[in-house]
Amino acid sequence: MTPEREQELLKKLADAVVNYDEDMAREGANEAIAEGMEPRKAIFDGLVVGMQECGRLYEIQEYFVPELLMCADAMYAGLDLLRPLLQKDDSKPRGQVVMGVVQGDVHDIGKNIVKMMFDAAGFTVHDLGRDVPLEKFVEEQIKTDSEIVALSAMMTTTMLGMRSIIKMIRERNPKAKIMIGGAPVSEQIASMFGADGYAKDATNALKDAIAMISSLKDM
Amino acid sequence: MAMSIRDRVLGLFSGQEVDRVACYSGMGNVTTAGLAEYGYKFPSIHGDPGKMANMAASSYRLFGFECAVVPFDMCVEAEALGCAMNAYEDVNQLLYPTIKEKIIHSNDEMTRITIPGDIHERGRFPVVLEALRLLKNDVGNEVPIGSWFLGPFTMAGQLMDLNDLFKLCFKKPDQVNSMLDILSDLIIAMVPRYRAAGADYIVIREMGAPTDVLSPRTFRQVIKPHLEKIFRSIPSPKILHICGDTNLIIGQMNDVGAEAVSVETKNDLVKSRETIGIEPLLFGNVDAYNILVNGTPEAVGEAVLRSLAGGVDAVWPACDIWPEAPLANLKAMVETTQKYGASNWARKTRADQ
Repeated sequence: MTPEREQELLKKLADAVVNYDEDMAREGANEAIAEGMEPRKAIFDGLVVGMQECGRLYEIQEYFVPELLMCADAMYAGLDLLRPLLQKDDSKPRGQVVMGVVQGDVHDIGKNIVKMMFDAAGFTVHDLGRDVPLEKFVEEQIKTDSEIVALSAMMTTTMLGMRSIIKMIRERNPKAKIMIGGAPVSEQIASMFGADGYAKDATNALKDAIAMISSLKDM
Repeated sequence: MAMSIRDRVLGLFSGQEVDRVACYSGMGNVTTAGLAEYGYKFPSIHGDPGKMANMAASSYRLFGFECAVVPFDMCVEAEALGCAMNAYEDVNQLLYPTIKEKIIHSNDEMTRITIPGDIHERGRFPVVLEALRLLKNDVGNEVPIGSWFLGPFTMAGQLMDLNDLFKLCFKKPDQVNSMLDILSDLIIAMVPRYRAAGADYIVIREMGAPTDVLSPRTFRQVIKPHLEKIFRSIPSPKILHICGDTNLIIGQMNDVGAEAVSVETKNDLVKSRETIGIEPLLFGNVDAYNILVNGTPEAVGEAVLRSLAGGVDAVWPACDIWPEAPLANLKAMVETTQKYGASNWARKTRADQ
């Protein structure tokens, strides 16, 4: 593949995500596969770049939640084709993450977007869903020996449960990295609760997940 | 003679001259202090009219809050339409009820939704109505009784998957609008019953529609028409509250026919005044968690003064008061408003000049 063609394909994948065009994402992914592009490249330098742009557009209030959700659909359309090859292609697994929305909260949009980024990176995601009892996070982390636990809460009223989860996980497995996110979460609260990372809204969750994944990618 | 609390709050809507800004809310304000006083468990107060009324009145009695408001949770409307609610009775931590079973799972079910003629007898509507009657008898001569409904969009989010609802706002706004129009009728049917039972003012809380979530364009397309219809159809006093970031839509919020608009801490009041001018009634916006729960009484006092400096006409917590807010903080909120609610009220100082 010529460098020009490669750039063209990567741009097509990124644009498909930004323009929430599921058909174009599928087409781009199929072309990338047929023409021998590495799936990892197509994902990270194509789809993920598009999603980063969506995050930027959200931040400057050009895109809002419905737009982000549709971008995510386009990204999944491409991922569904590329990801199976990625797993085949990879000798060692990327890692595991346990994630979910804490009990009392049924809002899972932020969690689903972060989940998508972990999916993109080839992580094994143990998604516990929403309204998850606190002990369940601890049990699942122990059971799967996941490196990362990601907790989400949309409301102040449920955020407080995160503190107990973090404490329980720390007692059982001090090595696990804990990331918290959601509308009411702040840096102060993350440090008060003893989390390793935080994301204050969907965009930041996206950025954090990308940063975390980018650093893990090279391991 | 000092003005009565009722006259202070309600007089503002009827154009009467009132002595100062009031400190009250149109949202939940139950406290753990109130729960402890009566020995109630939080999950038990949502289904029992006596407990609900006692808890609402306790905030007036314990810290002089200038209102009594029911209900406390966001499931009342959805339950009456057939959703199943979870009150978290077996959970140790304090949790607000949520909807565990939705009633809309397809486009088909979305277009088929109807409001039954006996909606007021369904779910916990009878509980709320009885709580309003009890409150009216208990403290209704002293403080105004408030109640609230979820706006039709937020209500729809309780009835169906939110991801689907958001995407449909973009892909099929007409379909969403048909559903929201029907849900608006539920509010229009229930408000007169709430009023007859004792509610003095009504708040519509469309918390699913700030610009953290929806674009101003989507707001114009799928939120605003229904709020206009509702506010056209319900009696005064009527207030609109939207949480989150609302500066980009404050002009539209001011346009829907509510007599006052209440905003959250994320709203920059000065900018809002620049947009809507000095005349409309604007309420807000003391942070109901970071300040009222985690702050000191001094910080609460400063937050009240900031709201007044921003030009509010009533000091309202930015959302439901998180029950664990210490009484000292809540007293500081009320006392600072009492002390500065006349001298620092922009509307009054303008009138006196």
